[in-house]
Amino acid sequence: MVVETDSFKKISAQAQEKWNHLNQGELPWIRIGTALCGEAAGSKQIFNSISNCLEALGIQANVSEVGCIGLCFAEPLLDIQMPGGNRVFYNNVSEDNLKDIIQSHIIDNQIPNKHVFLYSGDIVLEGVTKLEDHPMKSKELRISLRNAGNIDPYDIDQYISNGGYYALNRALFELDPESTLNEVKESGLRGRGGAAFATGVKWSFLASNPAKDKYILCNCEEGDPGAFNDKGILESDPHTVVEGIALAGYATNSNRGYIFIRHGHDGPIERAKTAVKQAYEKGLLGTNILGTDFSFDLEVALTGDSYVAGEETALMEAIEGKRAMPRYRPPFPAQVGVFGKPTNINNVKTLSYIPEIVRKGGQWFSEIGYEQSKGTAILCLSGSLNRTGMIEVPMGLNLKDILFDLAGGIPEGRNLKLVQTGGPLGGVLNADNIDLILDYESFRNAGAILGSGGIIAADERTCIVDLTRSLIAFCQYESCGKCFPCRMGMSHLLEVLERICDLEGTEEDLDLMRSIGENMQAGSLCGHGQLGFNPVASAIKYFSEEFNQHIIGHTCLTKVCNKKRFSPKRTRR
Amino acid sequence: MPDEITITIDGQEVKTEPGKMVLEAAIDAGIYIPYLCYHPGMKPFGACRTCVVSVVDGRGTPASCTLPVQDGMIINNNVPEVNELRKSIIEMMIAEHPNGCLTCHRIDICGPGDVCLRHVSVNDRCITCPKNERCEFKDTVRYLGMELESHLDYKYKEIPLEIKDPFYDRDYNLCITCGRCVRVCEEIRGDSAITFVERGGRALVGTSFGSSLLESGCEFCGACLDVCPVGALVERENKWEKPREIKKTICTQCPVGCQMNFELNEFGRMIRVVPELDSPVNHGQACFRGKFGLDFVNSTSRIRHPMIRKDGKLTKVSWEEALKLISDKLNVCSKEDFTLLAAKDSTNEELYIWQKLVRMQMRTNNIDQSTNIHPELTDNLQKMIGMGSATGSIWDISKSECVLVFNANITEQQNVISLPIKKAIKSGAKLIVIDVREVELTRHSDVWIRPRPGSENMVLLGIMKLMLDNDLIDIPKLRDSIKNIDELCLYVQNLDLSQICSTTEVDESDLLSVAQLLTQSDTASIIYSLDTISRTISNDVVANLTNLTLITDNINTIGSGIYPMRYGANEQGAQDVGCMPNRLPGGSFVKDKTASETLKHKWGMEISSKPGIPVRDLGASVSNGSIKTMMIIGDLPVESDDSVRFLANQLQELDFLVVQDSFETQLTDIADVVLPRLTFAEKSGTLTNIERRVQKFSEVMPVKNNEAKSEIWVASELAKLWSLDGFNFANESAVMDEISEVCNIYEGISYEILDKNVKLVFRSGYDTPKPTQELYASYESNGMQWPAAGTANPYGSSQLFSPGIETDFCAYVPNVNANEVNDCNTADLLLVQGRVLFSSNNSMKIIEESDQNYIHRPDVFELNVSSAKKLFINEGDKITVTTSNQKMNGTVKINEKIPSGVLSTTSLFGELAIELQNSENINPMSDVPGLKVLAANIDKRK
Repeated sequence: MVVETDSFKKISAQAQEKWNHLNQGELPWIRIGTALCGEAAGSKQIFNSISNCLEALGIQANVSEVGCIGLCFAEPLLDIQMPGGNRVFYNNVSEDNLKDIIQSHIIDNQIPNKHVFLYSGDIVLEGVTKLEDHPMKSKELRISLRNAGNIDPYDIDQYISNGGYYALNRALFELDPESTLNEVKESGLRGRGGAAFATGVKWSFLASNPAKDKYILCNCEEGDPGAFNDKGILESDPHTVVEGIALAGYATNSNRGYIFIRHGHDGPIERAKTAVKQAYEKGLLGTNILGTDFSFDLEVALTGDSYVAGEETALMEAIEGKRAMPRYRPPFPAQVGVFGKPTNINNVKTLSYIPEIVRKGGQWFSEIGYEQSKGTAILCLSGSLNRTGMIEVPMGLNLKDILFDLAGGIPEGRNLKLVQTGGPLGGVLNADNIDLILDYESFRNAGAILGSGGIIAADERTCIVDLTRSLIAFCQYESCGKCFPCRMGMSHLLEVLERICDLEGTEEDLDLMRSIGENMQAGSLCGHGQLGFNPVASAIKYFSEEFNQHIIGHTCLTKVCNKKRFSPKRTRR
Repeated sequence: MPDEITITIDGQEVKTEPGKMVLEAAIDAGIYIPYLCYHPGMKPFGACRTCVVSVVDGRGTPASCTLPVQDGMIINNNVPEVNELRKSIIEMMIAEHPNGCLTCHRIDICGPGDVCLRHVSVNDRCITCPKNERCEFKDTVRYLGMELESHLDYKYKEIPLEIKDPFYDRDYNLCITCGRCVRVCEEIRGDSAITFVERGGRALVGTSFGSSLLESGCEFCGACLDVCPVGALVERENKWEKPREIKKTICTQCPVGCQMNFELNEFGRMIRVVPELDSPVNHGQACFRGKFGLDFVNSTSRIRHPMIRKDGKLTKVSWEEALKLISDKLNVCSKEDFTLLAAKDSTNEELYIWQKLVRMQMRTNNIDQSTNIHPELTDNLQKMIGMGSATGSIWDISKSECVLVFNANITEQQNVISLPIKKAIKSGAKLIVIDVREVELTRHSDVWIRPRPGSENMVLLGIMKLMLDNDLIDIPKLRDSIKNIDELCLYVQNLDLSQICSTTEVDESDLLSVAQLLTQSDTASIIYSLDTISRTISNDVVANLTNLTLITDNINTIGSGIYPMRYGANEQGAQDVGCMPNRLPGGSFVKDKTASETLKHKWGMEISSKPGIPVRDLGASVSNGSIKTMMIIGDLPVESDDSVRFLANQLQELDFLVVQDSFETQLTDIADVVLPRLTFAEKSGTLTNIERRVQKFSEVMPVKNNEAKSEIWVASELAKLWSLDGFNFANESAVMDEISEVCNIYEGISYEILDKNVKLVFRSGYDTPKPTQELYASYESNGMQWPAAGTANPYGSSQLFSPGIETDFCAYVPNVNANEVNDCNTADLLLVQGRVLFSSNNSMKIIEESDQNYIHRPDVFELNVSSAKKLFINEGDKITVTTSNQKMNGTVKINEKIPSGVLSTTSLFGELAIELQNSENINPMSDVPGLKVLAANIDKRK
């Protein structure tokens, strides 16, 4: 069905040949996850040791770094595929057992059962779960993460041979910009940032602007503690984002783009830069893409560590080389954006869906999901959970499914106390909300944000006041300092919370915080200040008793408070 | 979109136009909405959120400064829910801003001189704030009628004061981080010397990496001080003084003619200068010279009475005796031997009366103005386009798509003109700089051409040749409007481009990009001076710049034009009223028979057709004895040019020297008669600025204990002694009436009309808080741009030529081979001085001496490989450079961009600021050293 032009046919044939060689060749294929989760567990060292091991053992094998397969708790995750296509996964591999595993698996052809974690393929291993049956994988539906953990993010050919850039090819030769845009509109895709605005509608604002130079920005600032899916996607499969941006450019008649990554996210930066370079080399970016009239330039831009740089207008300031402070609106980015030119901005997650939507059609995507929330949710599970990781599930599951079925519940038999979603500004939910359905409307009604997809679970050892304090400390430190209500309101909120944490709070303090918060909400320039009271508001709403214990009873039952704690020395000058 | 839309604010209907913000519409209509970060003239910022309003049927409480008006919008401003939000935002601010001035229980009963009774900690006392009683923040708090009991904890920031840089005191404990200073520095001044630092609750204004202002690229224009709503940024001089009276005047430091407000204390002393916001000339901006250089008006070491040198000593005499002596001496001396130099800040009226006196009594054209050191500046311009002046207005430059700056150090010499240039650049215009020196504007340039000194003319010819060779201009179209154009084309086409490139040492590609930029832009402004151009090629350079303007058709549309950059405050006026040795009143050349006939008819006296001796040649004339008697008004700007320095050294040779000045100078030391002179702050009259704008100003300070008289009075008294008719003027206005009668270009200008061309400025509520600059802007005084008569606007025209008007342009065809006019300086090595705002040189250090910051920065001399080889030096060598008046040590750096035989060096603007601040000179800003090209020798050091 896909009309392949000569140039793309050539590219994809080459890629396919390379892939077949790797996947169906004579050599074993060893893959190791070196995304952020793997790297944190030491997989980079293991990756380096593998080649030493192979050399020492005299084995020839293909070794690839791959991204995050989602099972972060099991990292470093070693994946050995023998000729024939059967894959065996080893969890929590260390330098100590690495040699044993490789030796027994490849040389002795004896799968060392004591290290095995999962497998997939035709073989049967007694007492070992199949990858597809693992509780964390069983409910997954992978669209954006379809390639994560399976392909080498540094190799464009592996992406192409798995269906990559077919969508771009289809759009360029089968669809015109308008029908490409219509596919996205039809899909019902909504922005995976915070506002959940319909992506197709947002694009149409830009598409209708007749300006010559227009920009597509991809936001990978991702500064929310507990959120790592933007980074994860870029680390695992950067080309799906690059292709998504190119498609966005095509659909809106734009000609330039930036992938904006926070300075310090080294993995995503490196992989995104490589991906852009490779796409240029293949003629999938640049002038006259695949021989058509469509030209699109893409660059990776960095900023300093600033949370607010993820706000769309602050991000534009940062790209322009200025201090990342939000601009006022109107004019909206679709009229005046980066460098004064019309601009559209989406985050990594949103754009990563586009290739599959264009490839399979908007109709297909719109059938997935729940009510007004189409498609899947990409969630980052962390905190007090048995299984942490990055999962992609259809919208419409509830928190209980996620936290207990997929993530395996709370360790050591403790009880769930609260869930923190959507970054610090998203606020907290107590355990009563466990049946909350995973879609934008349900979350909004509960006073929380699905937003970045970070879900942090906490058990009863957590003190709510202390948690709120640390959330506000984050918000305070990350306020850009431009508008008065946010700059000063955050500081005052933090001071009050510190007072309560010191068990020196008074009964007026809750009212004081409420009045500061209301003013921040009403007066602030951007979402950071407007939502800045959310953590406190939601904490007081669900845990007012615990606040009262601190304020009236001057006790903290969890015994967390009134201890030495980490906090900025002075919140104000 | 409709052109006029109506919104309603608190029930009052307000007519406004699309594109405005609600706050702006409210201010225009006289409705006050509290604000702190907004400042008129700057883009809205939306930070302070004190201007929040609620919109009927709208969402939330948007800030009105960033809320675009929409027809039918209904705004609630002064309603409790909005005011409560404002108050609570301000309440948080007060919790970190010292607030004794608001909360002390003695506010209303504390008299001046009362001792603080320790209810308020020292840092919070009202008297420790330099802006006490003129603080916009305090006014706003009071206006809102706030309850000052707060549940929030107050914290003093405890930030050490920044008081070590020149001119400024910075106390960030008082800062409310509204960002006005940061924005004015970036948006209006184009400097970005200050920025926001840190973030969250610790966000503040500062310099990058906490460096001193000297390093950060500050040009000490004072714009940040002018916009600061609190006491965080203030002028160090008279920091604690409160103004009792505000008076408007015009700065006489340069020819821009900025309107300034003088803050005067109860004794009538000038304590601060605040540029006028509603001035068409400076739009609320000033520069280091105007902001910090006008202190001399307060000086008490004045010349207070006429003096005559008796037995080698100056002795106090009466005006009668002094004038009698002058008239007698001048009566007996040979009239050819006399010359008069008027001051750079003499008014049009004074200049007119002086030249009339010299021409009628002494019968010579030996009259000049002391800053007129490049008499060629407008001669050819006038011959070619009919007028010797800028064709457009200063702020029209901001509408240019391309700006060419030729050999002009605008940021230092005519500072405010650099602002429209930078504004144009911000909106996408291209800047071309042709200058061998590195000046401030070069860092903003798209193309910077550094020709070999002496070959500048060939650069211009090369650009024209490339325009013709590449068919970038439509010659047939221009044939009707420009005479001689074919001859010019023929001449230019015959030039040898490769020879031009090798002589000038400029790449052809650079010349081509200039040619393309100038021709492909719809509008281009050509701004030039002759700072380092040798006099042999000056005339050709001006002619070719005019040729460029004409052939690119950049003469009669807004945003295009040619702008000669002068030095003296009223140099344009001097030319207009004939106070130059080769000009008659009206600006015509003295050789112009019709003009001198007309003048003869009006004055009833024959006018010499022999041009007088210009100030530049006076030194030689004095030394060879052809000038023996001289009268000098004001000081000589010896720093501006070597010829003036030479003249100053020759003055002892004179038989008789009369000096009229306000202060004792080197000239008064040798003068035979010294007359006291009024400063510009003590007199009234008109000045004509660089854009032909005649602006009237009046005395702002009283004459105290001083017998000084106006120059008009002195000239009239002398005329009386000589029984000359035609000097009986009742006042300055009467002189202007005669000027407008005699000088055709001033036709239609009179004090009466100047006084009429004033617009009242409507500002929100008379007694509401306002930024200082807005507070002082009571009316808009526009002056008049000549020509006024016969134009569409009786108040003058901003453009000298408009499309469709009959013109008489003439291209200039050089009559010799370009190479023969090429006057490459014979010296082997030329030291080219430049000055930059900041240095990327890491070895720069700030050292503190006696609580003052100084810059320690090793000098670097740049030259190209071939020059270095010739001199047997290498990169990194330590050398000593010797010029006629100084010796400098420094290190060699190789830079291929520098032409052969040129040794290029830069100093820092900060160093100049320190020098000026510490100068003993009463009026140091008038002698800011120019950037010169000097013959030099070098020695290698071990």
